[in-house]
Amino acid sequence: MHDPKGAAAPAASTGRLRRFRFALAAIVPLLVLWYVLTSVTHTISPGRFPSPNDVLQAARQISRGNGYAGGTLAAQVWQSSKLVLMGFAVAVGTGAPLGLLMGWSRRAEALLNPAFLLVRPIPPLAWIPLAILWFGLGDGAKIFVIWFAAFVPALINSYTGVRNIDPTLVAAARVHGASRLQLVTHVLIPGSMPMIFTGLRLSMQASWTTLVAAELVGAIFGLGHVLIVASLDIYPGMILYAMVWVGIMGALMTKALALLERRAIPWRG
Amino acid sequence: MFTNVKRSFRRRDQEVLALDDVSFEVGEKEFVAIVGPSGCGKTTLLRMAAGLDFPTSGSVRVGDREVSGPGPDRAVVFQQFALFPWKTVEENIAFGLRCRGIDADARSRIVASYVELMGLQGYERAYPQQLSGGMQQRVAIARSYALDPDVLLMDEPFGALDAQTRVVMQEELIKLCRVNPRTALFITHSVEEAVYLADRVVVLTRRPGRIREILDIASVRRREGWDTYERIEEVMDLESFVHLRTRIWRLLRERQEDAAPAGIAVKSA
Repeated sequence: MHDPKGAAAPAASTGRLRRFRFALAAIVPLLVLWYVLTSVTHTISPGRFPSPNDVLQAARQISRGNGYAGGTLAAQVWQSSKLVLMGFAVAVGTGAPLGLLMGWSRRAEALLNPAFLLVRPIPPLAWIPLAILWFGLGDGAKIFVIWFAAFVPALINSYTGVRNIDPTLVAAARVHGASRLQLVTHVLIPGSMPMIFTGLRLSMQASWTTLVAAELVGAIFGLGHVLIVASLDIYPGMILYAMVWVGIMGALMTKALALLERRAIPWRG
Repeated sequence: MFTNVKRSFRRRDQEVLALDDVSFEVGEKEFVAIVGPSGCGKTTLLRMAAGLDFPTSGSVRVGDREVSGPGPDRAVVFQQFALFPWKTVEENIAFGLRCRGIDADARSRIVASYVELMGLQGYERAYPQQLSGGMQQRVAIARSYALDPDVLLMDEPFGALDAQTRVVMQEELIKLCRVNPRTALFITHSVEEAVYLADRVVVLTRRPGRIREILDIASVRRREGWDTYERIEEVMDLESFVHLRTRIWRLLRERQEDAAPAGIAVKSA
């Protein structure tokens, strides 16, 4: 605490190394087990679950030439990531400010809360049919559905963030001469920042979940589309490979958010 | 400053009187402490002076103006410090100056002088949670003093500190007030603290808070030469100090026994 630079740095790096070793210790045996069960003992039939070799083959196929299901891996991953980021941005851009507003102003809360309560219980995926009717199979429909899914956690958490701000801090800002705008920029937003980031993490997860589901139902491109085509082709290797990439992209974006959070909230830790 | 102030709250359809007919005045550069049992409305009195709360009837004036909200002529030090966790020590002290639109150069000059005065050198860029309670309260006092207010309002500023730190802070506050005298209203539940720091002590009764008595400490302090002693324990050993302290204790206790049945009745209703 008193010497954050001197003492904490080496401790953190050895901690990271140790955690990496633990992660290896968990993953390597699983990979070995997977190889043994599918390719040595043949306990699991290749029709149900692909062997490592099947997955490698699928990986080779989708990264070359015309790829698979209408594009190469890079193109499919880019398509899905792009939609997730756009849907996420729209959802956070509307949800977080609305949450802040509802947390701050009783009047805004009274006005918006009924509509919110009505829309909230509708599962985001239930919007897919309407979205397809309105926007077709293109990008617009997916962004629309992601918006509904990712909007809710962004709103609720920023709302809670404002509500949890110590009222004494608001009083302190007022007695030291803060205007309404200064109250928002110096107290409200930084004060709810930790909760806003919790909302962003949940929104990011919701965005990926929803996108893949939407692409399964109706898309001409993207990782979800790869999954459904591979399923129709009875191609387990490709199914698993596409799933792995959904996992990788989701994890990368969550990690990016965590890095952003550490920069945005330097006072914590 | 306070004339015939009454303040009542509605609690579950019942009118609860918190303060009843409180009138007193704080002179220019005078240090007045308010003591009373918890729930007697002493914090409410201070909040009214700060413009964060308003009397149900009667009036609160500062100078010749009725208090209608927080103002640049009054600064508050809160019991829980109420520092902004997301701002560094420097930024916290500069907050009020920034709200008043004082330019960066003048701001950093003023901040530097208070950092030095309060012994905060070396901690300018630390965040409040990296500091001890005593250090945090120094920052809060600096933040209020930096505004150069006419009136300093302190709500049990040392209540959250451990006993040793508390004594140090009391001695420092006395020194600060000698160097830099302000009109001060100081809320405390510590009788010793009130007698040691104040020119006059206002003793309040249990709810509804009424003025029991106002004691003149300044004349005793001058007559007995309290200010010639460096340390608080030396002053506290003086017969004149013990005498005043015992008198206030008696005033508080008498009233408590009278009012106890009424207090219970309010709670059970």
